[in-house]
Amino acid sequence: MFKRGKLGGLDGGQYRPLTDSDVRKVHQAIIRIMSEIGIKVANRKGFELFKSKGMKTDEEKKLVFISQGLLEDCIDAAPSELILHARGNPDNNIVVGGKRVHFGSGGTALNILDLETGEKRHSTLEDVQNVSKLLDYLDNAHFQVIPVYPNDLPIEKVDINRFFAAINNTNKHCQGGVYTIKGTKEVVDMCSMIAGSREKLQKEPFISFITCVISPLEIDQTYGDLLMTCAESGLPLSIPAEPLTGATGPITIAGNVANLCAETLAGLCLAQLVNCGTPVLMACTSTSTDLRTMSYASGSVEEGLINACAAQMAQFYGLPYYGTAGQSDSKIVDAQAGFEGAITNLLVGMAGGNFIHDALGLLEFCLTASYEKYVMDNEILGEVVRVLKGVEVNDETLAVDVTASVGPGGNFIQEDHTFEHMRNEHFVPTVADRQPRVNWEKAGRKDTYTRCKEIVRDVLQNHKPIPVNEEIVKAIRAKYPNFVQ
Amino acid sequence: MADLTKVVDAVYKGRLKEIQGLVQEALDTGAEPNTILDEALVKGMDVVTQKWKEGQVFVPEVLRSAKTMQSGMDILKPFLVKGSGEAKGVFAIGTVKGDLHDIGKNLVAMLLESVGYKVINLGIDLDPSVFVEQVEKGVKYLGISALLTTTIPQMKVIIDSLEEAGLRSKCKVWVGGAPVTQEYAEEIGADFYAVDAAHCIDQLNSLR
Repeated sequence: MFKRGKLGGLDGGQYRPLTDSDVRKVHQAIIRIMSEIGIKVANRKGFELFKSKGMKTDEEKKLVFISQGLLEDCIDAAPSELILHARGNPDNNIVVGGKRVHFGSGGTALNILDLETGEKRHSTLEDVQNVSKLLDYLDNAHFQVIPVYPNDLPIEKVDINRFFAAINNTNKHCQGGVYTIKGTKEVVDMCSMIAGSREKLQKEPFISFITCVISPLEIDQTYGDLLMTCAESGLPLSIPAEPLTGATGPITIAGNVANLCAETLAGLCLAQLVNCGTPVLMACTSTSTDLRTMSYASGSVEEGLINACAAQMAQFYGLPYYGTAGQSDSKIVDAQAGFEGAITNLLVGMAGGNFIHDALGLLEFCLTASYEKYVMDNEILGEVVRVLKGVEVNDETLAVDVTASVGPGGNFIQEDHTFEHMRNEHFVPTVADRQPRVNWEKAGRKDTYTRCKEIVRDVLQNHKPIPVNEEIVKAIRAKYPNFVQ
Repeated sequence: MADLTKVVDAVYKGRLKEIQGLVQEALDTGAEPNTILDEALVKGMDVVTQKWKEGQVFVPEVLRSAKTMQSGMDILKPFLVKGSGEAKGVFAIGTVKGDLHDIGKNLVAMLLESVGYKVINLGIDLDPSVFVEQVEKGVKYLGISALLTTTIPQMKVIIDSLEEAGLRSKCKVWVGGAPVTQEYAEEIGADFYAVDAAHCIDQLNSLR
């Protein structure tokens, strides 16, 4: 197994597709969308909450016109940075906010490419466990968004078991979507048992939630309920909006960014009205639509542009940011899977996205995950992180002294300077092949996919994350009939 | 002799402002109304849909062409032989109970309309009885959409309800949506799985 390092949290922000003046124009558009066009709040309780704050409403169309004043108050009420804790290993805690960059997996794929056959099949609870274990191992996955859906469970058993499968197999922060209100409450309760108490869980949250706003401009009944249930729990919450260009959002990047910000900020406002101070990640899952087929294009370069712009807007508002990058629409782990993931991860990373999800493992419009792609993407992220680390310039790194001692015609191989800097100055690939051809042929002419597969097998066999205490698992098992692990 | 290629071209390129003038011009220069319909308006749509299937044309372009064709039809209608230019068939489509997704379903509806079907768009979050009622009313083509793994089982419920009502043989059932597969369609006894609107159109046309 290869050497592990810890390089989450480096500063991005080098890539800024929007000028300062552009950011102000987008902000003005957001205010107009929220206060003049309005947000549909189909959820009755949510609608009443906005109304009770004196917002203008349209009862018939269920529209709420969110004033600039309320928006500003809610942004002020939400923390500008937060610590997402990791169970079992505080070294893996991440501080989300500013321009600090972290990458992690994304959900929720319904299928996975079988590790043995390579064929697409429905994912199961065992896949949730295995992918979580793999993510725990991969050093450039700084957090986990629960990656796949357990198709082998009925809906009432999904929430609690999906979260436990993830938590028990990783010592990194776990964020996940939820499917039922009862399930959400069970997850909070189960995690309180693991933490010791609800207060301890709130103080050091090792889980967090995702609830969506529907594009364009709607908080619907179901997700509205889930959003409010999560906000009541006091745990951190990502509220992604997903306007797709030309379909559920404007075709233009600027318009799409304005819409998505209005949508996620409307969700942020609702969360603050439910529970003032709820830690919320302003969140973007937006990308482009391929208007030839109307497919959601999860690997498009415009996804990189949109999510980079949204990261700039979050920095403008002083809010932590959940962004999207790294997926591919390829059906297999091939060249397309590599280049699509690399470009978007690099763009959004360099824009300073704080919590960049989907960054590993996803294929085919996010419908299918691949064990091998998690490993390949981990290597791509290693390179992105290397870019973020930048170039240090000082007397030591300018190396004039060592150049003088080597002199014209010499070499640097045996110099102490080389020895001291070689590991931290350069990214050391573990997937990319740099063998001479003859050695590569002797080793079986393995391509990237095969090399990744071998790493996956090794990790699943040998890596041992710290599990949840067995006594607590027994108590969880006894308390919840839905718990099957 | 009227030059119909201009009309074909206007439909293909979605020249909404020009189409009525061009259709009028064709009528004025002696073209038969039914010839204008079949050899110009319909032909223009055929060109667009073919190119769309080949991936050369974008969906908004197909929709613009359909709107252009309809606009041309408005001029033509009073002159058409009775019965011609009518819908190819009636297709009712909706999203299952518990599922609020409608963009894909609406797109299928728009594209079916654009190639000449009458579409009844039933909406979202529908009780199985809504689908059954449509077949009771004589609708022969039924489209069921779902986008969530948690809601696709509703498709089977609808098909079972049609069976119970003794209506299953009276209609053809399409299923579609991201989590749906050919295997699933076969498993629940649907007639067709349409991966997208283009497939749905081809399957419908194959029945005529």
